[in-house]
Amino acid sequence: MLQFAWLIPVLPLLGFLCISFFQKQLPGKSAGIIGSLTVLGSFIISCGLFFHPASGGTEPVTITYFDWINVGSLKIPISFLIDPISCVMLLIITGIGFLIHVYSIGYMAHDDAFGRFFSYLNLFIFFMLILVLGSNYVLMFAGWEGVGLCSYLLIGFWFKNNEYNNAANKAFIMNRIGDLGFLLGIILMFVTFGSVQFSEVFSAAKGFPDNQTTIVAITMLLFVGAMGKSAQIPLYTWLPDAMAGPTPVSALIHAATMVTAGIYMVVRSNILYSIAPSTLEFITIVGMATAIFSATIALAQTDIKKVLAYSTLSQLGYMFVALGLGAYSTGLFHVTTHAFFKALLFLAAGSVIHAMSGEQDIRRMGGLRKKLPVTYFVFLIGTLAISGVPPFAGFFSKDEILAKAHMHSELLFFLLSVTSVITAVYMFRLLFLTFFGTFRGTHDQAHHLHESPAVITIPLIILAILSTLGGFLGLPAVFTEHHLFGNFLAPVLSTPAITSLAEPSHFFEYMLMGISVVALALIIYMTYDRFAKKEMVPSLSEAEFKPWYRVLYHKYYIDELYDKVFVKPLYWLSDVCYKIFDIKIVDGVVNLVGKGVVRGSEVVRLAQAGSVGIYIFAMVIGIIIMLVVNLY
Amino acid sequence: MTTLIILSALGLVVLFSEIFGYKKIVLPFIFAGLVAALAASFIDWNIGKHYLNEMMIVDNYSIAFTVLMIAITIVWFIISPGFFRDQGSRVDHFALIIFALIGAQLLTSFGNMIMLFLAVEILSIPMYILAGSNKSNLASNEAALKYFLMGAFATGFLLFGIALIYGQTGSFNLQQISEALTTQQDGGGVMAVAGVLLIMVGLFFKVSAAPFHFWAPDVYTGAPTEITAFMSTVVKTAAFAGFFRLFATCFSASASIWVNTIMVVSALTIIVGNITAVYQTSFKRMLAYSSIAHAGYMLMAIISLNGYAQQSILFYAVAYSVSSIAAFGILLAVSHITKNDDVASFNGLAKKNPLLAFVTLLAMLSLAGIPPMAGFFAKYYIFTAALQQHYTWLVLIAVLGSLIGVFYYFRVIIALFKNENSAAEIPMTGIYKAALLFISLVALVFGIMPGLLAGLL
Amino acid sequence: MENQHLPSDFFPIVLQFIVAAGFVVTTMVATHILGPKRKSKIKLETFECGIESQGNARVPFSIKYFLVAILFVLFDVEVIFMYPWAVNFKSLGINGIIEMFIFMVLFLTGFMYIIKKGALKWE
Repeated sequence: MLQFAWLIPVLPLLGFLCISFFQKQLPGKSAGIIGSLTVLGSFIISCGLFFHPASGGTEPVTITYFDWINVGSLKIPISFLIDPISCVMLLIITGIGFLIHVYSIGYMAHDDAFGRFFSYLNLFIFFMLILVLGSNYVLMFAGWEGVGLCSYLLIGFWFKNNEYNNAANKAFIMNRIGDLGFLLGIILMFVTFGSVQFSEVFSAAKGFPDNQTTIVAITMLLFVGAMGKSAQIPLYTWLPDAMAGPTPVSALIHAATMVTAGIYMVVRSNILYSIAPSTLEFITIVGMATAIFSATIALAQTDIKKVLAYSTLSQLGYMFVALGLGAYSTGLFHVTTHAFFKALLFLAAGSVIHAMSGEQDIRRMGGLRKKLPVTYFVFLIGTLAISGVPPFAGFFSKDEILAKAHMHSELLFFLLSVTSVITAVYMFRLLFLTFFGTFRGTHDQAHHLHESPAVITIPLIILAILSTLGGFLGLPAVFTEHHLFGNFLAPVLSTPAITSLAEPSHFFEYMLMGISVVALALIIYMTYDRFAKKEMVPSLSEAEFKPWYRVLYHKYYIDELYDKVFVKPLYWLSDVCYKIFDIKIVDGVVNLVGKGVVRGSEVVRLAQAGSVGIYIFAMVIGIIIMLVVNLY
Repeated sequence: MTTLIILSALGLVVLFSEIFGYKKIVLPFIFAGLVAALAASFIDWNIGKHYLNEMMIVDNYSIAFTVLMIAITIVWFIISPGFFRDQGSRVDHFALIIFALIGAQLLTSFGNMIMLFLAVEILSIPMYILAGSNKSNLASNEAALKYFLMGAFATGFLLFGIALIYGQTGSFNLQQISEALTTQQDGGGVMAVAGVLLIMVGLFFKVSAAPFHFWAPDVYTGAPTEITAFMSTVVKTAAFAGFFRLFATCFSASASIWVNTIMVVSALTIIVGNITAVYQTSFKRMLAYSSIAHAGYMLMAIISLNGYAQQSILFYAVAYSVSSIAAFGILLAVSHITKNDDVASFNGLAKKNPLLAFVTLLAMLSLAGIPPMAGFFAKYYIFTAALQQHYTWLVLIAVLGSLIGVFYYFRVIIALFKNENSAAEIPMTGIYKAALLFISLVALVFGIMPGLLAGLL
Repeated sequence: MENQHLPSDFFPIVLQFIVAAGFVVTTMVATHILGPKRKSKIKLETFECGIESQGNARVPFSIKYFLVAILFVLFDVEVIFMYPWAVNFKSLGINGIIEMFIFMVLFLTGFMYIIKKGALKWE
């Protein structure tokens, strides 16, 4: 199977080329079908790799194809690393990617730029696969930049709307800040270890003591990149705005795959991070802050996609907490389950939006349960999964993180539990406001309401099944000795010194489960009472908001703060620079040089008068000078 | 050697096609012959042989260049199908092109001064004739005469230099000359210095380095565009291959004699080529000056004299010839319709002929040395090789030169996307399009994966 | 030892040069000085066997002269290659003959080419 590994990224690339070149010639839905089939092909090969003995826990395999850059001591081959980590990521990307491609055939059916959409989507899959397959940091960075580009293109997909373009720009710029950190990290790494190849860097890093300054600097810089890509405080504001893109994009890029690239990167570099406990501590704090901060914002949002976006932020925070605790496999486990249920939620939300003719405000929905039974059912499963109701997928991964946090610090455990409670509250609020109560939309919308076609619902059902059963990949120690997921990843992971190896006691585990079940039941009852029975719908006019609600509604005014503190002064500074520095000095100099070149060109050109005599004369002068200078 | 025999036989067959009346099938025959020669070139890959008392030395370096030049010639035969269709002596010109190619091949694989001289002449004489092959055009006649007069002048110096070197070392064999120059006291003295310098003058002329470049713009502009395309790709590559072979191997021991001179000439060439190109409004003349500038960059590789020099000059030659032949291919197609060579005739090309505009875009980006294209890595390798020898100021001039270069290449790109509806639809055959697209993709692929080529030598 | 030459060995040659050059220069200078000078119109005119000259001496004539002349020189020079072969005929042996025949064939094809091309046709 390994000999086909190169096909995994190449198939979507072919799809991209094929669709973008023959956009106009491709009839009807064929662009979508081509796009889906290429990703399906990659998925099948990825499955083959997954069941290949080499990835089943033995040595990781590196396949080198050819030298990409070969200058002096810098040798960067195009080579793929296939080990448990990349196998898991491959399955998530191609599997969920395929489902979302299929879903998009239905969702984007009426869009004029159907072909363009699929070409971008395929390109994204290509870059994402390069990101996780690359066996060195430069290749990873190439994929990293590529997915950023695709995200930019897809957020601004409906480019006729200027606000969407602004959202795209915001995402691009915020990501650039992070990428700068990532790039500096790679450069520092090359300077320190003399290589950017994973295997070489990691084996070289083993000789370093804990918390060595260089290692901490490298890991911190890399983490800055992860903060941008995975939208952690303070570089998180782009992700909610990125919801401007089509919903399948939000599901694929901004929930299931691209935003988890940061987590993948940290897990991949786990050997480096394990010897930099200070960075891990920092990651825990940032992750925790993001988790609780964005969960509270989600409480007051009224846009169905924005709620999900903030919940994504919060879940990403969870994952980083797990990584910060050194529980890499737990982090990746949560990435996996989160990919299932968050893709499900987004796609279901897309189905709702589709039925509502583009309406995204939950204050204008309600009572959709009867009209959209399948969507309602899968959305319910997604909500149960993300809230951590056993036995759905989210329960096990979240439970594992909580257990790990409990071993580390009581405060962390407490904060995570609070976040978990808030998560359940806003998710059930969303569920009840959307699907229960009475319909609050316009008459037209009510008339138009319909369940989505099979091409949309089938991916939803598959994802719902995955969200239900996905958690059994990682049953806690209480139930079984075999933590499938953890054991699969174990050979390529390291354990930092700060992680306590002790397993939580069985009593604690049972207690945790018991408490969470009771708490969840309570939350469900309260939210049902408030939002479904009494229909306490948030007011449409802002004036009626309570002060705390208003703060949350405005997302703590962070966007405004950034605008005042960074954007405005930057504009002012650039304005000043432009008016004084640019126009007066730089332009002056540049113009002078430009004029000089043109003037010089005029003069030099005159020598080219066309007379052979002059030419030969010039040659002879040249020869004489050469001989005189060299011989005397 | 097999390549040489195939090419010579092919040249004769083509020459006689008119007399024996198989003129109609000569083009397929040429393609078959060139492909055979291309295939035969690989026979000695990684073996390294010498023939005829070390007159010819075939090694990986010469094979790589031969393959490049034969491939470019094949593309040339695709993009110049209408080459003087109305003239009776069309096949004679084809034969001359093939004979020039033989000279070019010899110039990459000579092992002897006599062979060097013969190769230069076999390459040059057909070019003198071809420059004037448009007999009814006064500019073409003028170009041929100028090229011939000045070429003869430069050849005289080359021969004089060879004679002096022979006088000092008593041998024509490169290996023996190299040994003699190292063992003799003060590196052979005045005679060797003068000899090396005079040989250098002859070769400077062939590669059109300043101040021996004056013929190039006039000849490039005056000669028929097809011939200019051949001159600025195959002939130039061959001249550099020979130049590098002679100086980086045979004269490398006495580098102190010539390094400084080449450094100054290289800087001068870069400055003159780039600055003069800015002023040109004719695309053809602009390419002529830009080819002078590129000669300046390639000279940098000769003085780098380290492990990277060989691979960097090969990479540069590939990137330059591929993009250059693409640019000329486009010019041929465009000027066929618009009847002039101005940059202005590219106005609004993107709208009517997206493929042609795409190829132009890639060619210009590559010539300018912008990242995803091969031209970028070509410059990158050359500059790195030069920096390792601490020619900092030379690299500085070269970088400034390429910045100026960006200006005039981008003028073409801007013209492509001008919103003008005046541009005419340009008809092209399928194979013509395919050839243009293919070479652009080659430039792109080597730009994305430079490792494919850079590790070859 | 026979191959060793001292500069003094070349003295007779130098002497011969001096004498030859000296003779020419001396005679020319002497006639110039000694000879009487009479300049008249008739004396300065071009002499063409007593017939009065007409028009300019530099009239264009057929380029065929040049072509034929060039071709003559070309073939003439190529034939020179036969001399070294003839001298070393025995030592070069059968290989020499084969090589010379190839050369001759190429040579004759060239000849055929110019005839077929009509380079030697006058009209």
